Amino acid sequence: MTALRSIDVSKVFEDGFTALADINLSVDPGEFVTLLGPSGCGKTTLLKIFAGFYAPTTGRVEQNGADVTSAPPEKRDTAMCFQSYALFPHLTVAENIEFGPKQNRVDRDERLDRLNELLRQVDLERHREKLPNKLSGGQQQRVALARALAMRPSVVLFDEPLSNLDAKLREQVRREIRGLQRKFGFTAIYVTHDQSEALAMSDRVVVMSGGKVEQIGAPEEVYQRPETAFVADFIGSANLLPFDRVDDHVVETPLGRLTVSNRPDPNARFICWRPEDAEFGVSEGGNIVTSDISERAYQGAYTDLHISVAGAPDQRLHWPGGASCVGQSATFRLPPERIRFVRGEIA
Amino acid sequence: MVSLADSGATVAPKKPTRRAGALNRFLMIVLMTIVAIWLIVPFSMAVLWSLVDPETGWNYPDLLPPSLTHLRWVEVWTTTALPQAIANSYMLAPTVAVVTLILASPTAYCFARYDFAGKGLAQLATLLPLVVPGFVLAIFFSSLIFSLGIYSRFLSILMAHCVLFLPYAIRIMTVSFGQVRQDLIDAARDLGASPLAVFRAAYMPALLPGILASLIIVFIQSIEEFAIAFIVGAPNFTTIPSILYSYLGYNFIRPNAAVVSLILVVPNVLLMLGLERLLKSANPAQTGVKG
Amino acid sequence: MRWRRTLLILALLTPGLGVILLMIGSVFYVAVMQSFGYYNLVGEDSFSLEHWEKVLGSKQFSRSLSYSAYIAVVAAIGSVILAYPIAIWLRRPFRGSLAISAVLKAPLFVPGLVASFLFLNVIAFHGVVNQFLMWIGITDEPIRMQNDRGAWGVVFLQLWKNMPFALLLLTGAVQSISDEVLDAARDLGAGSFARFRKVIAPLTVQAMQAALIIIFIGAAGDFAFQVTAGPTNVQSMAQYMVFLKDSFGRWNQAAVVGVSLMILALFGSLILAFISSVVLKSGNKW
Repeated sequence: MTALRSIDVSKVFEDGFTALADINLSVDPGEFVTLLGPSGCGKTTLLKIFAGFYAPTTGRVEQNGADVTSAPPEKRDTAMCFQSYALFPHLTVAENIEFGPKQNRVDRDERLDRLNELLRQVDLERHREKLPNKLSGGQQQRVALARALAMRPSVVLFDEPLSNLDAKLREQVRREIRGLQRKFGFTAIYVTHDQSEALAMSDRVVVMSGGKVEQIGAPEEVYQRPETAFVADFIGSANLLPFDRVDDHVVETPLGRLTVSNRPDPNARFICWRPEDAEFGVSEGGNIVTSDISERAYQGAYTDLHISVAGAPDQRLHWPGGASCVGQSATFRLPPERIRFVRGEIA
Repeated sequence: MVSLADSGATVAPKKPTRRAGALNRFLMIVLMTIVAIWLIVPFSMAVLWSLVDPETGWNYPDLLPPSLTHLRWVEVWTTTALPQAIANSYMLAPTVAVVTLILASPTAYCFARYDFAGKGLAQLATLLPLVVPGFVLAIFFSSLIFSLGIYSRFLSILMAHCVLFLPYAIRIMTVSFGQVRQDLIDAARDLGASPLAVFRAAYMPALLPGILASLIIVFIQSIEEFAIAFIVGAPNFTTIPSILYSYLGYNFIRPNAAVVSLILVVPNVLLMLGLERLLKSANPAQTGVKG
Repeated sequence: MRWRRTLLILALLTPGLGVILLMIGSVFYVAVMQSFGYYNLVGEDSFSLEHWEKVLGSKQFSRSLSYSAYIAVVAAIGSVILAYPIAIWLRRPFRGSLAISAVLKAPLFVPGLVASFLFLNVIAFHGVVNQFLMWIGITDEPIRMQNDRGAWGVVFLQLWKNMPFALLLLTGAVQSISDEVLDAARDLGAGSFARFRKVIAPLTVQAMQAALIIIFIGAAGDFAFQVTAGPTNVQSMAQYMVFLKDSFGRWNQAAVVGVSLMILALFGSLILAFISSVVLKSGNKW
């Protein structure tokens, strides 16, 4: 049985904008799924359809096998963590957390048990009688999380919950969310535009663009084996090159004739390789490329090199040393198994 | 306490709602119908009554007046004190508007640009004229000026109107002075501007919409004000509302009242519409980053 | 430097706030003193409770007081009750919502006397409403709506004039509640009524109190509506005060009524605001 499932869900807004087209997604119980994409890709719309704030224009939503397409948010077994936290400004931390259980008429002892446990869990026991505006951003985020969990929901929906926090805090709260998920065992659907957040937290990543799903897969899968140019480019950085097929194992590219170990997909438009795939200090065995370096940027752990060749401007590769020991040109090898074929357009 | 100017003016732009479109359309049709009856019927009745032919009249059970004429307008204009009342009102109101603005500006400047102990209380105290019942103010103000020996009706009403409408002007100008950007002042001074040039470059653009809004609102309020004009002005200084009252109260003449009502309300509605356009066009002018 | 700054602030406040305090203060002073027998236009000034005794002892005064209090309470509460749902409905813009709110707020810019006149035509004995009611056969003969004993004409005018004001304040307050906060309440299981009682009402209580206070004071001191459309068997406080002043120049008694009206306005509105906040805040306790 799936915890949450969308079947052919589309959403067209009144002004004619198609936010989602035919989304099919199944989420298993206890799974942590991230909806990843740039702003306007439809990820938040999909989340709000799961929460019940929007009704899909076509298609169905099922929760635990039951059709909940037309159930309003207040009747669904989902709880949401909002981007702005959306804490009730007139209620204390404790009252905020108790809001949901009170609405659902959970009896008093049970309610207080949940409150105390959650306050301990998110380390806010000292702040229970404070109003939200007396708390820091990270504390407010934790109250929002506790408030959602107080409902004991089977699904928790996160709408870019960390986007208002600074980088250090973001990493800490990220770990806390994963910890709480493991402890309470809820299913999580997490919307973000931050690819490193998606890669670090998820069991599966759903990459979206223009209202469509580009690729669904485990973090390693979407990073290592992107299926479309969009996915390759959006997650990490990728070099995309047009190619002509010579035979099943050889392609002609602006970098020269390259041997590949994957068979070219008939729909593929580009080959793709990542900056860290370049092997330095190897000068034989085929797939050797030499090019002038147009720019270099020292990044600490490596040096970012930019090379330009006719038909392929601005290719990037990571030189695993300091900037000073690079010459005017770079010679490197592209391992055949690291060259992927991707569909789609370059944005 | 909620500020009057803020709550109306700052409507955050939001995306149009996408839910319940059909329900909204239905509610809107119902409401528009009610509102049409609400505004259109009363106003058209007033227009009709002002055009009733004195020869034939408009008697029960006629649904509409049997014949229409502009004679009533001519008659009211030539035989009553209306021209004098209009002259009085339209002399009084601009004077009140300008004097009120001048009185309000220093206090508004102070509220917008200084912090001091008791500021909240001081701002609350500026609302006092709004919470004293108008007729109480009017009667005991007339008693006050009598014992002070001030006999000019015009001057007395001017004083009372200025105090009565100061809360609006102070409120509007406080918001305006708050919109003057310190970085522009600093930049102008840094570039060697004289105080006058600083005022023109940094203050004037932010203040202008507020100044106009304050002038128009106080002008309208002064034209409409009845209690003080009636009590303090009686019997020899008439304004448009006191003429209207004379036709509504002890000597009810419906067609005359219709004429005076329209003369009172139509210019104000036009001014109000102008003000709204002004405020709308002024908004994008407040460019710049916050914080 | 400190005292110079203080002086500067005082100097800036003088023409605005200073003038207000001076004027309102002296008017208040004159009213109170006159009610105790001072500031007489004719005759000797001397302290006396006679005017208070005379006025408070009269039946007309107690009728006026309770009538004005009644009109003020109905106008304030009625306006707020009518304005709340409209403000919530107009919270998020939709096509035509600006036009609606402009039309609804139009009465704000219609002077009280003109408003009276406009509706006198409509609700007159032989006015449109009566003719319409008789035409569709609801009544056989015209209903008395102007100067009626139940003061429905006045109440109607008060609501027509004051609802837009309540709407203005409440719309601002309701719009400042973020969408996400309301969505969060829904998500946590609150239906429409629970959202109103537990989120919208507590967050707009200040705007609502401001509306109640200002409408209460305005309606308690009403003269124009009462004189034109009110019942003839009872006078409003303002009307009674003007009547005392105009008939035989009973200034001292008028002053008693004036001071009583100010007390009614002050305490009545504060009590109303207090009760409303208690009622609304009870929404947070279960």
